Amino acid sequence: MAAPKGTAIRRTPLERIEYAIIVTTLLAMVVVMLQPILNLLAVSFSDPSQVAGKSGLDIWPSGFSLDVWMLLLQHPNVQRGILNSIFITATATFIGVVGTALMAWGLSRPNLPGRRIIFLLVLVTIVFEPGIIPDYFLMKRMGLLDSYWSVILYKAVNAWYLIILVRFFEEIPEELLEAAELDGANPFQIFFQVVLPLAKPALATIALFYLVFHWNEFFRAMIYLNDQTKYPLQVVLRQFVVEGDKLAIVGADNAANNIGVAQINLKALKAGMIIITILPILAIYPLILKFFTKGTMSGALKG
Amino acid sequence: MSSVEQNATAIASVSGNVPISRRVANGIRRWWPYYVMLAPGLLFFLIWHYFPIWEAKMAFEQVRIIPPNLWVGLKHFQTLFASPVFYQVLANTLIISTLKILFVFPVPIIVALLLNEVRSGKLRKFVQSAIYLPHFLSWVVIAGIFIAILSPSDGAVNQITGLFGIKPTAFMTDGNSSRWVLVFSEIWRSAGWDSLLYLAAIIGIDQSLYEAAELDGANRWQKVWHVTIPGIVPTIATLFILNMGMFLSADLNQVINFLNDVNRGQIDILDTYVYRIGLRTGEYSLATAAGLFKAVFGMILILSAHFVSKRLTGKGVW
Repeated sequence: MAAPKGTAIRRTPLERIEYAIIVTTLLAMVVVMLQPILNLLAVSFSDPSQVAGKSGLDIWPSGFSLDVWMLLLQHPNVQRGILNSIFITATATFIGVVGTALMAWGLSRPNLPGRRIIFLLVLVTIVFEPGIIPDYFLMKRMGLLDSYWSVILYKAVNAWYLIILVRFFEEIPEELLEAAELDGANPFQIFFQVVLPLAKPALATIALFYLVFHWNEFFRAMIYLNDQTKYPLQVVLRQFVVEGDKLAIVGADNAANNIGVAQINLKALKAGMIIITILPILAIYPLILKFFTKGTMSGALKG
Repeated sequence: MSSVEQNATAIASVSGNVPISRRVANGIRRWWPYYVMLAPGLLFFLIWHYFPIWEAKMAFEQVRIIPPNLWVGLKHFQTLFASPVFYQVLANTLIISTLKILFVFPVPIIVALLLNEVRSGKLRKFVQSAIYLPHFLSWVVIAGIFIAILSPSDGAVNQITGLFGIKPTAFMTDGNSSRWVLVFSEIWRSAGWDSLLYLAAIIGIDQSLYEAAELDGANRWQKVWHVTIPGIVPTIATLFILNMGMFLSADLNQVINFLNDVNRGQIDILDTYVYRIGLRTGEYSLATAAGLFKAVFGMILILSAHFVSKRLTGKGVW
């Protein structure tokens, strides 16, 4: 911890060396976390002819070209992937926030009859997960396989986020609610006009949780969706980069429509694909830092 | 009737000898708006989490194209427990979880201790902002990044080891290194973010303890050893127990992106096995049986973790 204010800090040479080692270690960690991302960014903006053999340590483009970006952003699979991901993430986040907030409000009322049973029902789902095969068959039975809804509804209301919100609602001072009740507000009005405005930071945190979760989800999309045109961006990325399925981006019929795809360096295309997929996360990262960091800190302090 | 009167009736109904039907009627009159608000979420849980439990009965059935399925009891479990592949994936799961507990778990504690020593608030903020980022990337992206940095031809790691004259290794397709790739990618992803919980615990430590230690002439290390670490032991214990609760998981989302035909022997875990035999080869019942095995033992682990944690630190899993 920082030295108490007002006291003069006297440091021996040994302490200075220690401090230098600590700071260097942390800065090294920063480099390890950020350098690979910067390298991919540099590769994606490099002149495609200079990408082959470009060192993984490089964080500056070799030459400069927008070819990779133009090509990827004009590619039908990528465009569809982006639209699918935006649609799935937006819808699922909306449903998630609304469903979680309404349910958490009910569960946060200490005298609600049946509260304990409902809580237990939710906790059981955390403890016992029968696995992916029964989930798959449920989707099949509901006729949702190969539909966006299979992915949207997967973990649409998350038990953990629900518990976080219940804890938050429980903290709202009882007097505020009673005052609203005396003013003649019904429970719905109290929820929408008193509780929700108070809960804005908590709701923003939950919304970000859902947003990140749904944007990053790939496994369920991979098993529930057959139709390639419905794939979210993560699955397109996985096909291309992880499974090494070049057909996903530079396949025969794609190549026919996109002359030049085959000539462009695969490594550069992969790098560009990864960066495109994390752009939305980077865009909301300042918000994440603001809400998540604070939320986690206060949660841990209270706990 | 106004809400206040409703309140009064509700209270009266608890204390007085009102007939039970009246009490239920009063309860509904008072609480129905809350049930209405609860309903969509509750319905969601019942459908999406309880129906699958019912579907899991498939583990005891012979799936037939024309329903109904045939009840076969424990047959699939017998097949499962007689299969060498099952023991292989179980061993892989346990080994990977153990490696993660040994080598991933301590890292965020060290990071938090280091961060806590940084006096400049700006520098600390900068480091934090950078090292939290990987936590928010998907495993597909992280696998993509690791494929790039571990590339034998021009990846960063082989470039560095090359400086010392070490021959390039194809880590991603080398069975010997694949488990370590899981360990390091997990560290890369979570070391920063997980340190936040410990940092929060450190900030909660009573400052006067540090002042007292300083008066006693304690140096930096003595303060860390005698004040900071004892102060975060409850957090360490809680998170350690939570990790033990997830021992049979070993993270499907991670492993499935690093798994290939070459390293299957080393990193094929229970979940990827269930996925493969269930959804790829279509042995639904066997896969469900394996899934249930994991679910039941996972439940025992989580519940034990919860009660042990509650007992030791007062904090449970939820």
